[in-house]
Order: sequence, then C-alpha cells, then structure tokens
Amino acid sequence: MDMELTGEQRLLVEAVEALGSRWQAMPPGHERDYAHYEANLQGALAEGGFLRAGLDMGMLEAALVAIEVSRLPVVTSVGASALVAAVLTGDVPDGPLAIVGGDWRKAQRMLPVATHALALHGERALLLDLAGVAVAPVASVYAYPYGRFAAEPDWSAATDIGDAATLRQWARVAIACEAAGAAESAVAVTVAHVKERFAFGRAIGSYQAVQHRLAQCHQIARAMRFLALHAAWSGEATAADIAATYAQDHVNKLAFDLHQFSGGMGVTCEYQLHFFSYRLRALQGELGGADGAASGVYDRLWGAAA
Amino acid sequence: MEFAWTEEQQAYRTRVKGALDELLPDDWDSHYAPQGYGSADQINFSREFCPKLAERGLLVRHWPAEWGGESADPWEQFILAEEMKWRGEPRGPQYMNVNWLGPVLMKYGTPEQQEEHLGRIRRGEVIWCQGYSEPGAGTDLAALQTRAERKGNGYVVNGQKIWTSYSRLADFCFLLARTGQGRKDISIFLVPMDTPGIEVKPFPGLVSDGHLNEVFFTDVEVPGSARVGEEGKAWDIITYALSFERVGIPRYHVGRKLLDKAIAQLAREGRGDDPVIKARVGRIVAKFEAARLLTYVVVDQRAKGAGPSVDANISRITASEACTDLTNFLIEYVPDCLTTGDPVLREFHRGNIAATIAAGTYELQLNLIARGALDLPRGN
Repeated sequence: MDMELTGEQRLLVEAVEALGSRWQAMPPGHERDYAHYEANLQGALAEGGFLRAGLDMGMLEAALVAIEVSRLPVVTSVGASALVAAVLTGDVPDGPLAIVGGDWRKAQRMLPVATHALALHGERALLLDLAGVAVAPVASVYAYPYGRFAAEPDWSAATDIGDAATLRQWARVAIACEAAGAAESAVAVTVAHVKERFAFGRAIGSYQAVQHRLAQCHQIARAMRFLALHAAWSGEATAADIAATYAQDHVNKLAFDLHQFSGGMGVTCEYQLHFFSYRLRALQGELGGADGAASGVYDRLWGAAA
Repeated sequence: MEFAWTEEQQAYRTRVKGALDELLPDDWDSHYAPQGYGSADQINFSREFCPKLAERGLLVRHWPAEWGGESADPWEQFILAEEMKWRGEPRGPQYMNVNWLGPVLMKYGTPEQQEEHLGRIRRGEVIWCQGYSEPGAGTDLAALQTRAERKGNGYVVNGQKIWTSYSRLADFCFLLARTGQGRKDISIFLVPMDTPGIEVKPFPGLVSDGHLNEVFFTDVEVPGSARVGEEGKAWDIITYALSFERVGIPRYHVGRKLLDKAIAQLAREGRGDDPVIKARVGRIVAKFEAARLLTYVVVDQRAKGAGPSVDANISRITASEACTDLTNFLIEYVPDCLTTGDPVLREFHRGNIAATIAAGTYELQLNLIARGALDLPRGN
C-alpha cells in the first residue's frame, strides 16, 4: 500500500500538466461558450501517447491522466479514450469518442465531435465508426458538446468489442475520474473567488459559514480522486460502482455550494465555474446516476443475501 | 501509488485474525462485543486479553525496538487496529495506550516516567483515562479550569473533568490542568486514579456504557515528577497526541460488517430487494470506502515519517459522515436495533452518537481544513 505517486507516475502527471497549461484558460473566442471541445488538446494527448497510458503503463496511470486533463476547462474524450477504449478495444483510436447508450433518439454526450462511439447495445458493447453517420448538435448548458443521431445507427456495421457490463464498469470509472478532476477545479475556482470577493467589509471566504462548506467540498473532491484511482487500479466492478456512486451522489452538494459562494458571477459565462460544475451536472445522471451505481454496489455485495 | 497489500502485510493480517480466533472466548460476539469497549466487562477482559496479545508480540509491534516494540511499519498498526475493530475492539481502552499515550511518553516523558509507564502499557496491564474535557471546556480545550497549584516540589489539583471515558476502572489519568494565568498555561500530569481526593461519578446518557463519567479532583496532591514536559507547555504535546487520535480508530472498517447484519435482517423481513434500500446502502458503502482510502493516505504519510497534516482532519470527517449515515440508516430501516434487535447494531449506534463531537468536533476539523488545505482567511 503506497498512497503517493511513484516517480514515474509523478512525471506522467507533470507531463500532462505541462501539455495542458496552454488550456488553463479558455481559448480566445470561446471564453463565453457553454462547452468547448478542444481538438488540439485531444490531438496532443494522442500524439504524446497519453491516451495509451493504460496500455503502456497501467490503468491507474490512465486514471491519473484522465483526472489531470479533466481539471482543464476545455473538454476532450479523455475518460472514454484512455480508460474505456483502452480496456475494451485494446487500442485507443486517436479521435474523440462518445459513450452512447439508452434511447438512440436522446442527446448523447460528445456525439457531435466524436469519430467513434462506444455503444451499450443490449448485453453487448459495440464500437461504431461515426463516419457517414448523421448527427445533429443539441444546444445545452451542460459543459460537454451534445448531439443526437438523425436516424437509428446501423448497429450491424459496428464491431463487437465485448460485454456491456465491462463497458458500463469502465464508463463508471471514466465518470469518476472526469468528475474528480472537474470537482478539484470547481473548488479551486470558488476558493479563489471567495478570497477576493468582499461583503460587509470582509472577504466572504473569511466567514465560517462559507469556510465549512468549502472544506466539505474539498474533502469530497479528494475522496472522489482516491476512489476513482482505486477503481481504475483494481479493475473490479464493485470499486467502479463505488467510485461512481460517491462522485454522482456528491454533485448536488458541490454544485449548490460552489455556485452559492460564487454568487451572481457564478451564473454568468464570464466566470469559469460552469465549465466544471456543468460538466459535473452532465456526469451526474449518466448510467443511472448515483442510484444506479449504488444499486450495483448492493447487488454485488449482497445480491445473494437479498 | 499502489493499493495492494504486500505479502508480509497480508500474512500479518492473517496472523492477527488467527490470534483473535484463538484468544477470544466463545461468548465474545454474543456477550462482550455488544457491550462496547467502554463497558466494565470489556475493560476487565482487556486486562486478560492484552497481556496475551503482548506475549504474542502483537500489542506494540509498531513501537521502536528500544521501547519493547519491533519498529514495525505503521501499516501494521492499522492492520491490527482494523482487525480489532472488526471484532469489537477487545483491547478495550488499551487501544489508546498503544496508539498515542505510549508514543507521547516516548517523546516527552522523563526517563523515570518512561520506566514507570511504558513497561505496563507494553505488557497490556494498565488502563488509562484522559482528563481533558470539562463542563466548560470541550472543543475549546484551552478554556479548562482545573488548576494545579504549586506546593513544595509538587502540585495540588482542584477541579472537575467530564465525559471521562473508562475512568471508573482506570489506573491512571492523563490529566490536563492549568498551571498559570495565560490561556495556554496548561500542564500535563500522570496521576494514579487511587490518589486521595479523586472521585469518579458515572452518569447515564445516550452513548455506550462507560463513557460518561465525572471526575472530581479535590486537593489532590501530585508530585512534580508526574508532570510531562515543561510547566505550562502542554500545547505541543496535546497537538501531538491528538494527531494520533484523530485517525486512531478505523471506524470505516466495521461498516461492511454492520451492513451485513442489517441486510441479513432486512432480507429475512422480505425487504432485501427494496430499490430504495439498495440505493441508500450503496451510498453508505461508498462513504466508508472513501474514509478507508483517505485514512490510508494519513497512514502512508506516517509510515514515511511525515508530520501531522490536514489529511488527518479530512479522513476524520469522511469517517464520521459515513458512520452518521449508517446510524441514520439503521434507525430508519432497522429501527428495532435500539429495542429488541441485534445488540451489535445498537452498540454501533450508541457508540457513534458522539462520533462527530469527540476528539475535536466535526466543525473544528472543518476549520482546520479551511486553513490548512484551502488557505482561507481568518475572520476579524
């Protein structure tokens, strides 16, 4: 048991951090977007081999990459690529990926920018090449691009890449990692704000009522990180369900407190919080949300007893 | 980063489990464990059990060799603590002797104090209580009013302590008393509980038996040799001791066991497939696992020789939230746990009523996180 990064892991994280430093702030022209998929970052991650960390180093390392990239305000498909595709396809397509499931008529996260979809299709997991597949963008305040299929895709043209349970498991790890990174940045944005914003002659961050709730938010983000890393390391479905349960269950608390302390600024697009908080909101309900993941925990641990 | 236990750690856990299987009586789970580790039965049992644990080299393995330990990795201390907690903490109050009291005396005690006390602790034959809280001083420990006045080479102590767990059957008290006029002019004394002038009065309450006592000190004469550290300089020692205590009890480790019991009961009642229960229980498991990992962060820091960090406060609030969620769940879904139901569930509930208060309140932990992790400004 060693809870610190190894030298190699630290170098990996620092390399991702250095790569991402260009996108610490939104690119010109996108400052007031609801979401911005950054193709250049996706390309740089692919070119630098970071999306293959799971194949070359291990799934814990893939999770470290996913968390670090998710701390940026711009969006990539890092979770789907580095974690889900790595496990299910044994390879990582360079282009962005979408994880799709449920009713094909509904909006799907990342679909308008993705080159391939990792699809939950009954009991199977499919890899669907989206070239030539008509997708209509869907407007949303969620901080990921959304789109929907213009018509039901030809699933018979897709490649079977395994069972749906495995896709669901690693998609939950991806949710947990992306949520952890977004949560850390959402807390950091808000903490910086409350140190600078004064009310009644004091920085609002000096009020204990504010401090306590931000301390709780910090604790939540830290728990999300370690649960996500553990889920990736273990490769166990229960750990994935636990990580997703915790992450999705705590989004309400984070979104409420962090927006509350950001005040009026937090509901504008001039301020970076929504890039993280509405990414968390987007992840919150995926794959059945916290209830779905928590039920998975219960069934795996006590299904026989029940 | 590596989440796997080493082969040595796994072997050690097996050894600890084996020792517990051999040393605990047949009626341990039915008679002793449900009473809680502050109960008279468990305290008395610990006087038999801990010496046997010591004989097997399992009581103070994490202590340095010069003090009778084997300088074992702090991870072993936690593996031991997890397995003890799982079985209902048969070390009774002696868990705190080996976790923090001994290490405090190693660092701050005089050679005479070390000679007198460390051997007893190491052999598992002594019960201590903590004379910290008072009616007017709990979280704000520096507000304590118990005074130790100089008299010749010693002191005369007058005052009152409260919530003093185990004090009815304790041999010694780790006593904090005011020795000067300044707010933090506080000293620590090692006081035998049979010293004339000490009176213990238990009183009833919601928490588990053995934890609620008042201790009165009336003209109690204490030799100067009983003082730990310099006069009026207790604060660093207290901080050092609390840094051990905040992560000393692996509460997260019993969550699964208690949920096993609760769910077995719910299944018998035909409610095992209730989707509301599933969703609720899965969330509680997630919180316990979060507490486990965040506690391991602190243990890892300790294993690497790092000083106290805010991660101890973070792990503490995570664990206390998980315990609180579980106690709430039990009351809502297994309400007979406080009446005719499983006494182990009852004991868990009663044992955790004060989990967010004892050893530094939940709010105090949040204050420390706000400063230590977020660098938020102090109020005026």
